[in-house]
Amino acid sequence: MTAPADSARSRAGLSLFASPATRYWLLIAPALLLMGVFYIYPIGRVLWMSFTVPTTGLDNYELLASSASIQRMLWTTARISVLTTIFTLLLAYVVAYALVHASPKVQRWMFLGVLVPLWISVLVRAFAWFVLLRREGLINSALMATGVTDSPLSLIWNETGVMIGMVHYMLPLGILPIFSNMRDIDQRCIAAARGLGASRFEAFWRVFLPLSLPGVVGASILVFIFSLGFFVTPALLGGGKTLMIAEYIKVQILEVVRWGVASMLAAVLLIVIGVLLAALSRLVNLRKLFGAG
Amino acid sequence: MMEKQSFAEDCRALAAELGGGQTRRDLIRSALALGIAPAALALGGGAARAQAGKEVVLVNFGGVAMKAFDEAYVKPFAAQGGKIVLDGSGALNGKILTMVQSRHVTWDICDAGITTLAELGPHGALEKIDYSIVDKTKLDPTFAYDEGVVNYMFSSVLAWDKSKISGEPTLADFFDTKKYPGRRMMRKDSQAMLEFALLADGVPKDKLYPLDVKRAFAKIATIKKDLLFWNSGSESQSLMRDGECVMGLLWHTRANVLADETQGRVTYTFKDGLLQPGLWVVPKGNPAGKEAMRAIASMQQPEGQVKLLAAMGNGPSNPAADALVPAELKKKNPSDAANAAVQAKINADWYKANHSKTFQSFLDLISS
Repeated sequence: MTAPADSARSRAGLSLFASPATRYWLLIAPALLLMGVFYIYPIGRVLWMSFTVPTTGLDNYELLASSASIQRMLWTTARISVLTTIFTLLLAYVVAYALVHASPKVQRWMFLGVLVPLWISVLVRAFAWFVLLRREGLINSALMATGVTDSPLSLIWNETGVMIGMVHYMLPLGILPIFSNMRDIDQRCIAAARGLGASRFEAFWRVFLPLSLPGVVGASILVFIFSLGFFVTPALLGGGKTLMIAEYIKVQILEVVRWGVASMLAAVLLIVIGVLLAALSRLVNLRKLFGAG
Repeated sequence: MMEKQSFAEDCRALAAELGGGQTRRDLIRSALALGIAPAALALGGGAARAQAGKEVVLVNFGGVAMKAFDEAYVKPFAAQGGKIVLDGSGALNGKILTMVQSRHVTWDICDAGITTLAELGPHGALEKIDYSIVDKTKLDPTFAYDEGVVNYMFSSVLAWDKSKISGEPTLADFFDTKKYPGRRMMRKDSQAMLEFALLADGVPKDKLYPLDVKRAFAKIATIKKDLLFWNSGSESQSLMRDGECVMGLLWHTRANVLADETQGRVTYTFKDGLLQPGLWVVPKGNPAGKEAMRAIASMQQPEGQVKLLAAMGNGPSNPAADALVPAELKKKNPSDAANAAVQAKINADWYKANHSKTFQSFLDLISS
């Protein structure tokens, strides 16, 4: 047996008899390569700018500690995201609870109501809120006509308006994970609790609620992450006064061309979201949360 | 709409709203301008490019501005043997800088403003304007800068809702919520808004610069809770039209349209307004080289500028155009001698040195 023939056979052996894992890797290699070249590399380049523009070093990251402007913006972003998450979860829990306990026919209609807003552009929705909430809008006219208030309420052009718009946008993202979790809760547990003498409230509080918590945790992180990067709604409904991280980054890139600061903030956002997702994956089944399982 | 918009960008939006809309042919033409022209330039390479050196790519914000620019600028230049290709993709500061830094410049002339000078000048991303070709006698020398030259004029003005405000308010009244209660609006930019605050506070028109930023911020802070900040021209228009604000500081083009569409319920004055130039800038290393300067010189002809005034409301930059402006357009023209006389003029030098940090502090002020 000559050496070339030997190596040829071992090459054939490699492609035919390699472990299944290797073959899977080979199968997804083109996709990975594509992702690497067109996604990971450019993003890496952009993030690298946070260390090199305008000068090499950690100057941009130092701003996190020293710039009052950036700190205030981060605080606004965090505050609005947390509040949005809380309000969304409260409402989403109620809707999901009603969904789970509705008859199949009613459930279908309710689902339509939950999903339809998902298909409407966030811009259109912001304008719809504008029509409803403004000074001479439907809600204020109705309230004043019925004598509930004398002067129009400030429902828009402030954080209240931003919150209303954002909670509305996030609701389906809150409802669906909670619903999918609640659907899997064995209703016989509740029946058993009731049979053992628990009141309706106790059965909910001590059995149903704890069982539904994984869904709530999943939904909360999902909603929070989406809220962090929100751009359109705060810009439109905040009256120009609610500055969150996405808009801040945009200003840095397109207007004042401080690319280092922008990529530093993008990196921070990416890290925060990565950490949250990692935490989430330990608490709940991510595949199931995103509808794959 | 949610993004902060430049005046040049708003010109296109406004023209579209006024009914022109985009026709199919416009779309095809802009598609051609957008995709194929730059691609052809890029692919052309050496010899072909030398031949096509006559072709000047002019970037504006697209839409109906394409048609107006075509009539006002492209055709007259063609009559002189030159060629301008319009590209409607919008030359934002970040985009120009990306192009220059990657050394792949496909644009020759960009429709820009003072802040472009301020942000890109220090990066060395702009060519010097060649005033041996561009004629300084055909413009107000106040608006001829090293790295940019005026193409048209616009104003930031005070508008008010006559159904809610009696008499003619002054800038001081804009900052006096006791005298005239109600919400006001400003542009979400320090440019022009600081000038208004200082004028209201008693600084004379000719002594505005260097801007006393602290004083202006303090003045704005006094009415902050009654202020809204608009991003785009159409937003400023709808806030006034829908009665959300009793007074507003906005662009004269939008104020003109508001006055028409509300049958005079909303009105405005050029008095104590701020006259600002729209600028041509040339990215460093532009493909057509000096031909860009010849195109700019050609666009100084007053006839084309009057056409632009009629189509989009942008004021001519060539003083000689004044004589050609029809009487009914005169009172809407920001650069009309009578209107210009009652306005302050923006000072680009101050913006070059201060815009970036002032704008950031302005955002911090309004979002705190």
